[in-house]
Amino acid sequence: MSQTIVQVENLNLTYKSLHAVQNVSFSVKSGEIMAVIGQNGSGKTSTVECIEGLRKPDSGLIHVFGKDPWLHRSKVYKEMGVQLQEAEYPSKIRVEEQCRLFASFYERPADWDLLLTQMGLDEKRKRPIHKLSGGEKQRLSVLLSLMGRPKLLVLDELTTGLDPEVRHNMWISFENIRKSGVAIIMVSHYLDEVEALADKILYLEKGKQQFFGTQQEFREYVKKRIPQDEWEDNLSLEKLYLMIAPKTTGLTMEGIL
Amino acid sequence: MKGFAVILKMELQLFIRDFFGFFFALVFPVLMLLLFGGIYGNTPIYYGADVKMMDISVPAYSVMVIGVTGLMSLPLTLSGYKEKKIYKRFDATPVGKKSIILAQVFTNLIMTLIGIVILLVVGTLLYQIQIKGAFISICVSVLLSIAAMFSMGFLFTAIGSDLKSTSLLCYLFYFIMLFLSGATMPDMLFPDTIKKISDFLPMTYAVDLMQGVFAGDSFSKHGTELLILGSVTVICTVVGAVLYRRKDWT
Repeated sequence: MSQTIVQVENLNLTYKSLHAVQNVSFSVKSGEIMAVIGQNGSGKTSTVECIEGLRKPDSGLIHVFGKDPWLHRSKVYKEMGVQLQEAEYPSKIRVEEQCRLFASFYERPADWDLLLTQMGLDEKRKRPIHKLSGGEKQRLSVLLSLMGRPKLLVLDELTTGLDPEVRHNMWISFENIRKSGVAIIMVSHYLDEVEALADKILYLEKGKQQFFGTQQEFREYVKKRIPQDEWEDNLSLEKLYLMIAPKTTGLTMEGIL
Repeated sequence: MKGFAVILKMELQLFIRDFFGFFFALVFPVLMLLLFGGIYGNTPIYYGADVKMMDISVPAYSVMVIGVTGLMSLPLTLSGYKEKKIYKRFDATPVGKKSIILAQVFTNLIMTLIGIVILLVVGTLLYQIQIKGAFISICVSVLLSIAAMFSMGFLFTAIGSDLKSTSLLCYLFYFIMLFLSGATMPDMLFPDTIKKISDFLPMTYAVDLMQGVFAGDSFSKHGTELLILGSVTVICTVVGAVLYRRKDWT
């Protein structure tokens, strides 16, 4: 039976006068992938950083493995792996040194030699991290999130900067990880990725929760909100999302050149 | 504990790979000693003086080492790691950022002590310097000077909003103190105006304490230096800690 790994109720977070996250509630069970979607600045990263114990919420309940991640960060991280949206590593450290360092933080670390091979970084193990390409750094970042054999993975923009082939391989890898019972929360702007992987979707706009449920429930949610003559069965998740997402103006570049 | 040992080893390796820290903490002071030793030898600093050039240069250059690690290497590493969100990445592991900050303090402490030992060895072997002070008194002076300089560096990182502003503070204070405290040339040779300015610099008191204790002075002769360095340590640490709590680490 699936166990609830993450429970969030009425989460609120403000930055000075900006209400970044407002009354967000959801739960994630073991073996489930939940995708957080929404425009830039919609509160996706702020929400997951509260789950990661990196930000203290103003109000609301967050339980990760039954514990408050802000108060019990080191205990929670024994079973949680994260890939942050933006994080650097000491520039002169080499790939294998960074892996060895992160492995030392866990009682039963993953076989990082094998992970380096699986991530296509085996030949780069002696290379200083600052000399890696953007995609290679991203793969290393994902590798490090797996170092503690986590039961919960939080991935903020998992495949940003990766080429299509690596992206698809990454999808297969995370599908296999999910099958082993790991709960995954992923923040993504790639809705093909969300469609391929996510069991549940959390949709945020301007910090407010618009939707939380399964992909099928998301289809019904969109169907209710658009004119019926626009509706077609088998629309991709990306098209569904574009039908209801607020329109971004000023990005057409029309008349500029 | 195993995690901390691995972080410490990594930070030591990174210190050695960083040309600036390695050169200015471990090589440059020795080059200064060899340069001035080659020019003057361990002769009296002026005709008839009972103080010899190399006897006072080794403790002064030791303070130079402390200045490099405390006012440059440590704060610039802290500030750079914060700006690149490296601490945030460590916060997203079971060990947290405190372990890596502690490892950076230990790394700079270890490198400072290595730098001072190299100066002592070179000074003894090449210039037969005389160390009359008790071992324990020298250790206390070194550690108090380290505490004062490291806490100043910590305060600079707390005041600086980013690496650029922290660098400005560090470079400004480091070079002012380096040249006006007596760490590079004996303050007995300074004109009165410079001496008055140097009285306001904490590093001056570190140089005076170290030179005095190396020459065999008791602590009772250096009450002012002990008081000032102790006060600098407490004030900078407390104010730095208060400012650090207000910083956004995410």
